[in-house]
Amino acid sequence: MISEFTTVEGRLPAFYTLLIILGGFVGMAAAAFFYVEIYGHGVTGMNNKVVWGLPHIFAIAMLVMASGALNLGSMSTIFAAKQFKQFGRFSAYLAVALLIGGLAVLLFDLGRPDRMLLAMMYYNFSSMFSWNVILYTGFMMLCLLYLWTMFEAQKYTKVVGSAAFFWRLVLTTGTGSIFGVIHAREVFHSAITGPTFIAVSLSSGTAVSILLLVATYKAAGLEMDKKLVFGLRNALIFFLLLVLYFLFVEKFVKFYSPAFYDVETWILTGPLAWLYWGGVILAGIVAPLGILFNSTLGNTVKGVMWGSALAVIGEFAFVAHVLIAGQSYPFNMFPGYEVSSVFQDGMAATYSPTLPELVLGLGGVAIAGLIYLLGIRFLRLLPEKAVVPKGWDVPWNP
Amino acid sequence: MTMDRRSVLGLGGAVAAGVALAPGVHLIAATQTTEASGSSRWAMLIDVNKCSSDCNACTDACRKENNVPLFGDPDRDIHWIRKIEIRDKEGRRPTVSLPVLCNHCENPPCVHVCPTAASFVRKDGIVLVDKHRCIGCRYCMIACPYKARSLVYFPTELPADGNPDVPIRGKGVVEKCTFCVHRVDAGLAPACVEACDKASEGAMLFGDLNDPTSEISKRVREVATKAIREDLGLKPHVHYQGL
Repeated sequence: MISEFTTVEGRLPAFYTLLIILGGFVGMAAAAFFYVEIYGHGVTGMNNKVVWGLPHIFAIAMLVMASGALNLGSMSTIFAAKQFKQFGRFSAYLAVALLIGGLAVLLFDLGRPDRMLLAMMYYNFSSMFSWNVILYTGFMMLCLLYLWTMFEAQKYTKVVGSAAFFWRLVLTTGTGSIFGVIHAREVFHSAITGPTFIAVSLSSGTAVSILLLVATYKAAGLEMDKKLVFGLRNALIFFLLLVLYFLFVEKFVKFYSPAFYDVETWILTGPLAWLYWGGVILAGIVAPLGILFNSTLGNTVKGVMWGSALAVIGEFAFVAHVLIAGQSYPFNMFPGYEVSSVFQDGMAATYSPTLPELVLGLGGVAIAGLIYLLGIRFLRLLPEKAVVPKGWDVPWNP
Repeated sequence: MTMDRRSVLGLGGAVAAGVALAPGVHLIAATQTTEASGSSRWAMLIDVNKCSSDCNACTDACRKENNVPLFGDPDRDIHWIRKIEIRDKEGRRPTVSLPVLCNHCENPPCVHVCPTAASFVRKDGIVLVDKHRCIGCRYCMIACPYKARSLVYFPTELPADGNPDVPIRGKGVVEKCTFCVHRVDAGLAPACVEACDKASEGAMLFGDLNDPTSEISKRVREVATKAIREDLGLKPHVHYQGL
């Protein structure tokens, strides 16, 4: 039984403070955008070897997370997890907010964002980027339609929710395929990149949903049954193990082929190994699993929050690892030879992000945050009392 | 005050639908500048045995001809053609010096990935970038296995002694070797080939592979040639002799 949906009262000073802070970040991002526009991308840390930097990490991490944010809605609509039905509106709305935030960063990091109209007028259907534009806009439309059915026409919720679920799988496969289809780069090229991105979207989307739900209910003084958080904890554990599985399979397959010895050894022991071992594996998977499986920490809301925060950090580290390691590894144009040139052929590329890039990326997060805040303020997205259905219990606890 | 949710959702849906459908206004393959004759297939043959490591005539001529700027920033300088040194890891072969440039592939990955079709192949096989259509997404740079493309990271202007036949690129746009298309269209060889001829015994040869009587066609038939990363199936059209 779902209690009455409610808007979050915006009279609290904390609400307006948060609005002002996020607005400030958006303002700073706008300043950073114009700074880069006027002086060129030379003021960023990007160069002719690493052409996608920190803004792309933010953008892609948010786009992947947006797909995963639909988990709560899908769990109730597709998999009949009734306890999460009450979060369906929140889920679809959050997906849209994250998507807009991510796309905003992507747009403002283009070399010529002023030419976006051209991108809408001329389409190259062999480009994975073009396909992703269709996938992102289609996903946004489906999420908004899904949201509308939950508000106004619940008899269509199942069919639209199913379509949104299917679309999000294709969407995240598309995002992963931006890298997976690139044959020229040994770090990128892989058929498993798409599925790995799906697993990462499931974990990070669930994690960010936990963080926002708990924080919102606490800040707004609303009531939420802890069992719901623990139910999501179990889902998060499963999704993190899924990410680990895909990462393991990729390494297993690549190390089976002598052609990949050099590149995989470089990834695991080279200058960016810290990002893989420290960011993806330790911070993003081992540490959150350690917390969530712990019989003490895993059974507290605070512990689940920590685990979720680490899973989100891990997602950013995963995207950063794919992007930066993928571009830094030198092209192997002449196998068996050592190569050198004035264009730094044969050398691993280096990349040091600069402040404008960081500010631009944080601006995207702030845009998503603002959209979320305005949503919970003006739309009835959350149940006044988030409780579990009668007779339902968390199936497993650590 | 609570906003009417119907209005909000309706407005949101309309905006999303507009954004999604806008590309559909032109749901056709992007038009391309393909005036060139399809009867030619321009290609280059580089004899590495004739290429000396201390000679940069080709790179210098390219910069001059095409107004390619040097920013003095090795990470962000633009290179249409660059000299590469390769050393056999086992030391069985002497060090080789050779120029590397856009390979004007028959199946160019840069063209496949370009979302706006700003990168395109002319009928005569020359791969070009429409600088007015490039949105600076840099996906082509990610996809090119030859590191042949550069983003213009800084504002640039035509040098006082610059070549007016080649307009300077705008910042935020990707650029690369054009095989000196303006010269080819005028019946001339690319500037690098001409400079190489003057500086050495002619390590670079340019011509029409579709013409069986052309020098390059004869040489490609007679001598063993290799291309870089042939394994990728891109059918590059810069061929190397003695590699």
